[in-house]
Amino acid sequence: MAAARRMIEPAPFYGELFARERARLPGHGRSELERVREEAFARFVALGLPTQKAEVWKYSPIARFANREMVVAEAAVPRLEDVSAWFGGGPATRRLIFANGHLVPALSHVGGLPEGVRVTGLVRAIEEWPEKVAEALAGCDPECSFTQLNTALARSGAWIEIADGVRLDEPLQLLFVHEGGESAAMTHPRILLRLGRGARLHLIETHAGTGDGHCFVNLVCQMALAPEAELTLDRLELGAAGTTLLSRTLVELAAGARIRQTAVALGGGFLRNETEVRLGGRGGEAILNGLCMPRGEEHADTLVRIHHEAEDCHSDQFFKGVVEDRARAVFAGKIIVHRGAQKTNAYQANDNLLLSDRAEVDSKPELEIYADDVKCSHGATCGDLDEGALFYLRARGLPREVAASLLVYAFANEVIERMADERLRALTRRAVLDRVPGGAALEAEGLL
Amino acid sequence: MLRIEGLRVAVEGKRILDGVDLEIAAGETHAVMGPNGSGKSTLAHVLAGREGYEVEDGRITFMGEDLLAMEPEERAAAGLFLAMQYPVEIPGVSNMYFLRQAINAVRKARGEPEIAAGAFMKMLREKAKLVGVPEELLRRDLNTDFSGGEKKRNEILQLAMLEPRLAILDETDSGLDIDALKAVAGAVNGLRTPERAFLVITHYQRLLEYIVPDRVHVMVRGRIRRSGGRELALELEQRGYEQFAAEAA
Ligand SMILES: Nc1ncnc2c1ncn2[C@@H]1O[C@H](COP(=O)(O)OP(=O)(O)OP(=O)(O)O)[C@@H](O)[C@H]1O
Ligand SMILES: [Mg+2]
Repeated sequence: MAAARRMIEPAPFYGELFARERARLPGHGRSELERVREEAFARFVALGLPTQKAEVWKYSPIARFANREMVVAEAAVPRLEDVSAWFGGGPATRRLIFANGHLVPALSHVGGLPEGVRVTGLVRAIEEWPEKVAEALAGCDPECSFTQLNTALARSGAWIEIADGVRLDEPLQLLFVHEGGESAAMTHPRILLRLGRGARLHLIETHAGTGDGHCFVNLVCQMALAPEAELTLDRLELGAAGTTLLSRTLVELAAGARIRQTAVALGGGFLRNETEVRLGGRGGEAILNGLCMPRGEEHADTLVRIHHEAEDCHSDQFFKGVVEDRARAVFAGKIIVHRGAQKTNAYQANDNLLLSDRAEVDSKPELEIYADDVKCSHGATCGDLDEGALFYLRARGLPREVAASLLVYAFANEVIERMADERLRALTRRAVLDRVPGGAALEAEGLL
Repeated sequence: MLRIEGLRVAVEGKRILDGVDLEIAAGETHAVMGPNGSGKSTLAHVLAGREGYEVEDGRITFMGEDLLAMEPEERAAAGLFLAMQYPVEIPGVSNMYFLRQAINAVRKARGEPEIAAGAFMKMLREKAKLVGVPEELLRRDLNTDFSGGEKKRNEILQLAMLEPRLAILDETDSGLDIDALKAVAGAVNGLRTPERAFLVITHYQRLLEYIVPDRVHVMVRGRIRRSGGRELALELEQRGYEQFAAEAA
């Protein structure tokens, strides 16, 4: 009975939609992939959709968005000038550009990459290596209904594979534009990434919501890093009011592998960002930085799970929230130190600025430790702007509103400066200044 | 320029200033000395407009205006400056950017045009050199991880840049080495003009050898108990505050 309340049945339209769409999905006619999709869909139906009775969805009424009548998003063909505003990297940066979840070949360019680097859209990957794709999808994340839904319906995405020892210095960008439609349109992009031994990649992922309508994005990123591989991931989400974005990033790190992720969520009606990292080999490192700034009626939910499964690994979570109006920020971060994972270093901080009486922050840091020789710490803060700092700036002549905006910017900037890509940092800073009173003036006066 | 009359101030219901009277004319430099906790910083904060203080009684006029009715930023624009005893660290905002914001905010409030980038840099380099603030410190985040002495020098740099009418220095000398003390005093003396006034809060008469005051006031338990010339500071150095404690009781 209790279990029934934690999950509810998916709305009937899902069954009809899957029956109708399956023949249009890439890989149709390839028995191994079809089987994986069927199994995933069955699993999705069996699991159901989480209600707020489910612990990890306590503050986020996802069923409200996921169980309304939706259609599959149709392809759109944006022009270069519609997407270039969100370009990160430099002149040699290769990009895959997606509109409403469909790859836009005319704007994408991944040619001329060094030997040992494979970057293609998912459709092409399925054509060329159907078994490999089926194998990667099969059995992935069996307890998460949204991953199962993604596996069943993924129509596009990216396949990124870097061979042993190959280091790609120029960043690679995945740029998503999500256009809101009259009835909510859903997309299920899937990113499959593998870094070989000692390989290195800097990935930029950007999401931009446009239009006044609704869209539902259910993104799954599956990343596997071989020993000593290094991944830098900069993610920027600039959703619109009607954007519902779920992203689930699953990272497996072998010995000595490292990930450094900085994710900034600066808009979107309903955002849920999940990152689950497994440190499976000795000496791995996971550094996760995050910032969200919900305002108005926006909802930004961050879930982090770090599994220390091997000895001598390091993890560091640095998350901040700035919450205004009637918005809500949720943070749930858990560090799980498994038996035998001695000499673990694991840190977690979640600091929030609560800028309005009606805004809300729910922060839940958790530690679960089954080893004895570990160093772990966690802490969460939630408060108003520092009165002493505000007075200091005002005493030097800055009007209250400008001083407050400057302090909010400074607070956010501590996360932004951890993004690796300079152009994305600038883009993000401008987006932050767009969100604070008098921000344009601060920018004009050379803050950036 | 500044007139304080019968000022009574409480913090969280506790009376801290208990009838302060003080008058400072343009061109003058006054020193306020007194034991720890006597209310010196409280006076400085009330003058600059910090929240959290209840003014129970009294008046303050600055340049003929009712100071207590003004916001902190209005006071800054009117030419009041407080070099704080504990300057605040603000990570994420560069020192240089902050200085430019401050100058332009004050100019804007006075209806003056903004300072041009070139002129600002020139002025900044000049003043930084005068006060002994290295270039590197200008590029760093405001006061963040500055040493105690660097923070104090940075306060004086702001003072030099903003060119206020009345500058209040709250224990700017505490924590300064002898060279820094001389540099700070030199900068302050360079700013002394017939139009500008200083209120210097200090525990040490040594500072007053460099910045020679016109008047010295002794504050004990929230009130100015005695005022005199420069020699009063020397007397305090020898005899301490004991005598005033008896008077105050
Ligand atoms: N926010 C506050 N809350 C409670 N008490 C306060 C507050 N601010 C000041 N006080 C008290 O008021 C008194 C005067 O403090 P103030 O800082 O003005 O002293 P001071 O003369 O500057 O001392 P010092 O020489 O140590 O700097 C002290 O007893 C102090 O504890
Ligand atoms: Mg003091």
